Amino acid sequence: MSSPRSHWRPRTARGWFALVAFVGGLVLAQPPVVFAFANRISPWILGMPFLYAYLSVVYLWLIGVLLVVWRWRL
Amino acid sequence: MEPWVVATALIFLYLIVTLVIGVVANRRLSSDAEDFMLYGRKAGPVVLYLTVVATYHSAFAFLGSGGFFYTHGVGFWVAGCWTILVGAITYTLGVRIWFVGKRFGYVTPADLLGDFYQSEAVRVVAALVSVVFTLLYVQVQAQGLGYILSVASGDRIPFALGTAVLLVVAAFYLMAGGLRAVYWTDVLQGVWMYVAVWVGALVLTIRLFGSPLELWRRVAAERPDLLTLPGPEGFFGPGMWFGMTMVLSFGVVLQPHMLIRYFSADSARTLKLLGATTPIYLASLYVPAAFVGLAGALVRPGLEVPDQIFPVLLFEFAPAWLTGLILAGATAAAMSTLDSILHSNMTVLTRDVYQRYINPDADAARVVGVGRLIVVALLLVAFVLSVTSSEFLVVVVTMSAAGAMQLLPGICAVCFPSRRPLSRSGVLAGVGVGLATLYVTTVASPHPLGLHGGIWSLAANWAAAWIVTLITAAPEADTIERIHGALEDFVYRDESP
Repeated sequence: MSSPRSHWRPRTARGWFALVAFVGGLVLAQPPVVFAFANRISPWILGMPFLYAYLSVVYLWLIGVLLVVWRWRL
Repeated sequence: MEPWVVATALIFLYLIVTLVIGVVANRRLSSDAEDFMLYGRKAGPVVLYLTVVATYHSAFAFLGSGGFFYTHGVGFWVAGCWTILVGAITYTLGVRIWFVGKRFGYVTPADLLGDFYQSEAVRVVAALVSVVFTLLYVQVQAQGLGYILSVASGDRIPFALGTAVLLVVAAFYLMAGGLRAVYWTDVLQGVWMYVAVWVGALVLTIRLFGSPLELWRRVAAERPDLLTLPGPEGFFGPGMWFGMTMVLSFGVVLQPHMLIRYFSADSARTLKLLGATTPIYLASLYVPAAFVGLAGALVRPGLEVPDQIFPVLLFEFAPAWLTGLILAGATAAAMSTLDSILHSNMTVLTRDVYQRYINPDADAARVVGVGRLIVVALLLVAFVLSVTSSEFLVVVVTMSAAGAMQLLPGICAVCFPSRRPLSRSGVLAGVGVGLATLYVTTVASPHPLGLHGGIWSLAANWAAAWIVTLITAAPEADTIERIHGALEDFVYRDESP
């Protein structure tokens, strides 16, 4: 094996899905999205202030992606 | 019975249980040094899961996180993000670290880096970074322990004595049973701390407010500044938010006590399961921490040391037995991290210094014996560090994690094959520039432009590494082919060792 292919890029469709889904979720939990869009108290969601609930939903998404990736045995 | 008696008695009961576990682990210990240092690379999913989460979450998660919510509000829910990132790192990088460790017999991060770059300098630098920055972390845990015992006993047990007692207990079971004792106590500690934080927070919230939803409503009415960014003191700006996410995920994972957990796994499947599921435990521990911190901000504002909010509320509003159980859980949180750091530092010094440079021909029994002596030395260092400094918990944690993070470019180049891996000179230059930048951006001029110093240092590290790599020789072709070829087969052809 002389010149290994890069391991930084996924090689399958499922790999690409996992990467985009996770990084996309991560972007939603980082600046500028959090500060521009989610930084407020209202509307309340399930009795929780918006910022806290918004982040909770994004985190559930990210954990879901990890579980799907594990289920796919990637 | 007075609350302090119950609390102190339960903590000591807990300590006795850990000592018994250490003795039992000692009876299962084989004469193999790898068994003492790496659990024989046989850690299965349950044990590894609980030791990873217990080690990751420390006294900081138990006390400091409540203090952060108390002071800065829901901005600290960013912690959920970095703990989930830890899972992703385990799934991607951790599995690769496990593989090369198993295939090529690595025990420490310095083994991994020294072999790939075929460089003693890289090996020494990696060992130094591993030890120096985790010793800072020992200080945090030791201080947390002394503080917990001091609070639990109502200041009847002085801080220094409490620190000494708990350090000695951790060192005893580590010396007795090696990593097996650490892992077994972590199982107990991982369960105990999780249950303790949740039960304590819910009991307090329900007693004080009726329900978590009512707590949220009261915070919105009385302290709305705690529900938005950047928080009352302007701490959680975009740069700090992003920086803490990166530093407290990559930085903590790259500390040797976490990396060694990867080496000790029994299979890649175990580690992938951990990567997918540990974020559930890690992130959800900050939910009750938010209840504690926000409840405290309403009912006991103005605490001089915000980290005290959980024990302060417990002593005032919870039954004595529950307070004792929870403070024993806090002890578990600190000890599970402390024993792991003591173990990893012992392993690095034994493997990378004693075995490598002092006595390469030492037999297993001698290596284990030297390891035990090193634990005693580390115990003394940790004690001295803990009683001579008292900086705010999270600042120290963040600095130590950012220091360990300087190994990231070098480790990524080993574990993720690319057309042009970093050179040994590039890695050394990167670590040097990164550490210098870290000093400037965390001590001399903290967090320039609001961006966390860890991010500045990592960016400088990576830039220097790449620039120097362009003008210096790559690692030897045979080595690249040996390690990257094996990784190619493992990752894409599913060839496990």
